[in-house]
Amino acid sequence: MSDVDTRPGAILKNNLWTNNPIFMQVLGICSALAVTNLLTNTAIMTIGVTLVTGFSSMTVSLLKGFMPRKVRMMVQTLIIAFYVIIVDIVLKAYLPEISRNLGPYVGLIITNCIIMGRAEAFAQSNGPVISFWDGVTSGLGYMGVLMLIAFVRELLGFGTLFGFQILPESFIPWTIMVVPPSAFFLLGFVIWAGKSAMNRQGAPA
Amino acid sequence: MNKQSTLYTIVFIFIVSFSFVFLLSMTNQVTIERVELNQIIARQRAVLASMGVDVSDPGRIQEEFDRVFADEDAGLFARRGDDRVIFAMEFVGAGLWGPIAGFIAVADDFDTMVGIEFVEDNETPGLGGRINEPWFKEQFQGVNISGGRIRVSVMEPADASAGRVDGVTGATRTSDAIESIVNAKLAVIRSDETREQFRNLLESGGDA
Repeated sequence: MSDVDTRPGAILKNNLWTNNPIFMQVLGICSALAVTNLLTNTAIMTIGVTLVTGFSSMTVSLLKGFMPRKVRMMVQTLIIAFYVIIVDIVLKAYLPEISRNLGPYVGLIITNCIIMGRAEAFAQSNGPVISFWDGVTSGLGYMGVLMLIAFVRELLGFGTLFGFQILPESFIPWTIMVVPPSAFFLLGFVIWAGKSAMNRQGAPA
Repeated sequence: MNKQSTLYTIVFIFIVSFSFVFLLSMTNQVTIERVELNQIIARQRAVLASMGVDVSDPGRIQEEFDRVFADEDAGLFARRGDDRVIFAMEFVGAGLWGPIAGFIAVADDFDTMVGIEFVEDNETPGLGGRINEPWFKEQFQGVNISGGRIRVSVMEPADASAGRVDGVTGATRTSDAIESIVNAKLAVIRSDETREQFRNLLESGGDA
């Protein structure tokens, strides 16, 4: 990761596609299973992750000059936890219904490996603005894959999209889609499709 | 200054922790009233919903709740509706993955259920979680509880006059949990002691 291209466009492409956190780095899988059975919940959750990744990368970058090396990871965790709690408080105050649906998963954003990964791999050695951009695009790469999985799961599991009935009443929901194992299968397909597409482009997979 | 020294590390950690925790406390302080208000409204909404009151308009919830006499310590609620008196009681019980909590409402003859509303559950989304769907909750309206028990099952046809409602297919253990939670609470609600409490609540509220 030492000689990464730090131009904004390159970062965008890298985080959304060639180095996508989910299907290339296979990070953040736990939440990909847990919160992807309804699109609304997934959208709010991934927006939360995107903001947390962006701001914590920025903060880590701002503080990196003052950080003693041996407590680096502790401070990063503290910063991430800080932003996650902020997201949790905001949801509780302004979107109580969604907050109730997401339950403990908001707090568990702290354990999302993508955030710590970006803080360690990028923010630790780059400026605050570009680190923010790197965090946000990583979050967006995560969001893209999760929304895709949630789209399939909600459509086939409930016959709805964002809570609106899409499939006819006669459609029999696939129970498998609402329980976590379906996310494993779908994630497998996404990783397969993503890597195959990349192989065709000749990129190192 | 040596940034790797123990003293610097301790001072650094102290300052960083202090500032972040300080900011968090401030955020929490700023929003706490709103969060508490949300919780109160969610609770009032659930009580009213169990009593069969239309709660689709959030703005009317507090107004409607003004007509409810509440004994929060005992979890008892009484409401003099347009044509009848309804009593409701809070319940908490063990579901499949975690507690299921909510309110059960009964008519003032204590022989008919008026409705049920869940405020908390951790059931499997799409399976046991379907207890929150209207079709499931609406089944409880007008169920005969003169026998003191209900039955939640997919094996027998639902029949309100016999105290039977449909369970959720694929969620037998959640259905069983609802059955035992409701039955346990009905035993409390129908006991002489609780009936007395309900009547006292209604009278004290009536005076006010």
